[in-house]
Amino acid sequence: MVAVVILAYVAVAAFELWQWKERPWKKVLLYLVLSAAAGTLAVLIILDNDLKVPEPIGFVQKLFKRLWQGGGGS
Amino acid sequence: MRELVPDQQGMILVLMFVVGNTLLYSLGGLAGADIWLAFLIAMGAALPMVLLLARIRSLLHGTSLGAGLEGIIGKWPARLLALLYAGHSWRLACYVVSDVTNFVQAVALPTTPQVVLATLFALLMLWAAKEGVEVMARFAVLMSKIVFGVLAVIFLLLLSEVDLAEFQPVMYGGLKPVVQGALQLLYFPFLEPVILVWVFDCFSTKNSPYKVFVPGFLLAALTLMIMASASLSVVGAHRYAQFFFPVWTAVGRINVAAFLTRLEAIVGISFAIGSFIKMAVCLLAASKALAYAFGFSDYRFVVTPLAMGVIPGSQWFITTVLEVERSATATHSVSEIALQVVAPVVVWMIAEIRTRGSAEKGKQGNARRAQAGGGGATSNKS
Repeated sequence: MVAVVILAYVAVAAFELWQWKERPWKKVLLYLVLSAAAGTLAVLIILDNDLKVPEPIGFVQKLFKRLWQGGGGS
Repeated sequence: MRELVPDQQGMILVLMFVVGNTLLYSLGGLAGADIWLAFLIAMGAALPMVLLLARIRSLLHGTSLGAGLEGIIGKWPARLLALLYAGHSWRLACYVVSDVTNFVQAVALPTTPQVVLATLFALLMLWAAKEGVEVMARFAVLMSKIVFGVLAVIFLLLLSEVDLAEFQPVMYGGLKPVVQGALQLLYFPFLEPVILVWVFDCFSTKNSPYKVFVPGFLLAALTLMIMASASLSVVGAHRYAQFFFPVWTAVGRINVAAFLTRLEAIVGISFAIGSFIKMAVCLLAASKALAYAFGFSDYRFVVTPLAMGVIPGSQWFITTVLEVERSATATHSVSEIALQVVAPVVVWMIAEIRTRGSAEKGKQGNARRAQAGGGGATSNKS
């Protein structure tokens, strides 16, 4: 399944890049990075169904929740 | 190429975006029987934010949002802000796709894998986003006639099932549930139009943002209030908050002479159309913001990878219908508050200060030029 998903993402990216009239390297690079990120996410979801969503400001959320519930004293 | 959307079409796009995928959920369910009051409070609280968004776009008239932001907060802060909004819009697109796929799986296609539906929706929104905001706005105008026609008929038919006693007693639980319901509504969907600021490249006149955002938002809020209140009065205040899709359940009760029944499928179609417009708008906003953040004027080349990312993203953020309901009835989220309230307010304040400063400089310059011109004339005379 992982191989099929990777193949699908590579095929879509290759087909679209082939369709472009011009291929400036900056655009191609960003396109490939984004496609690789999307493909990686798809593979990770297949491998781990409960993949954790990162929370960069999760601590603020927790603090907010504690204050909201009135337990911010301790 | 900058795309210009006529005011009326823009207004309909805002209307369809806000109504979008929100129609079926127990909006403001925490308010119970006082849902109408929660709607009025939330509308009153969200309106200043919508006016603020329109004001920002009005102050940046004649430039794209990216160029305008660069002018007021600098190049790199503007790009960083664009990157944050790109992530926010992409995440919202994932949520909307997840909402639709979970809904379809729950009510119609229980054995179809969600990823199949997500792929189909991703393809559709990819197409719409590549066509641009002009085409999307025209599509929204066309579809609004179907969606609002259906909602009007459904509302009229629901009137036979309505029990106005469900709204009584007023504020039995005090102010707290009403405020909580209003917060739910602010979180989803009343503060979401911030994404639309990234979608419109330019407006016809300086007042156009007001004509687009304010009536679009108010009409959408009114529509949602009417549909939510009607559904609550049909299913009851307690059940309204318990059901995953109370409007769906309420419409299912319509029975006209045992002939016109099972009309909920029509509401499902309206929900799918609204959701499609919303997810396409989110993808377009994400693409435009991301392209700007990396210094590109054309956004179309990033649409495909972002849409391909939405397919796994929709399975990542939300996995079950319970999570869909939880996300639709949450009251707050720090990241959302930061991007939907704090960032626009900060940008607006800086924009006001900068534009007033430049206007004063312009006036002083004109006065100096006039003085110099007057002096020159006197010296010539002498």
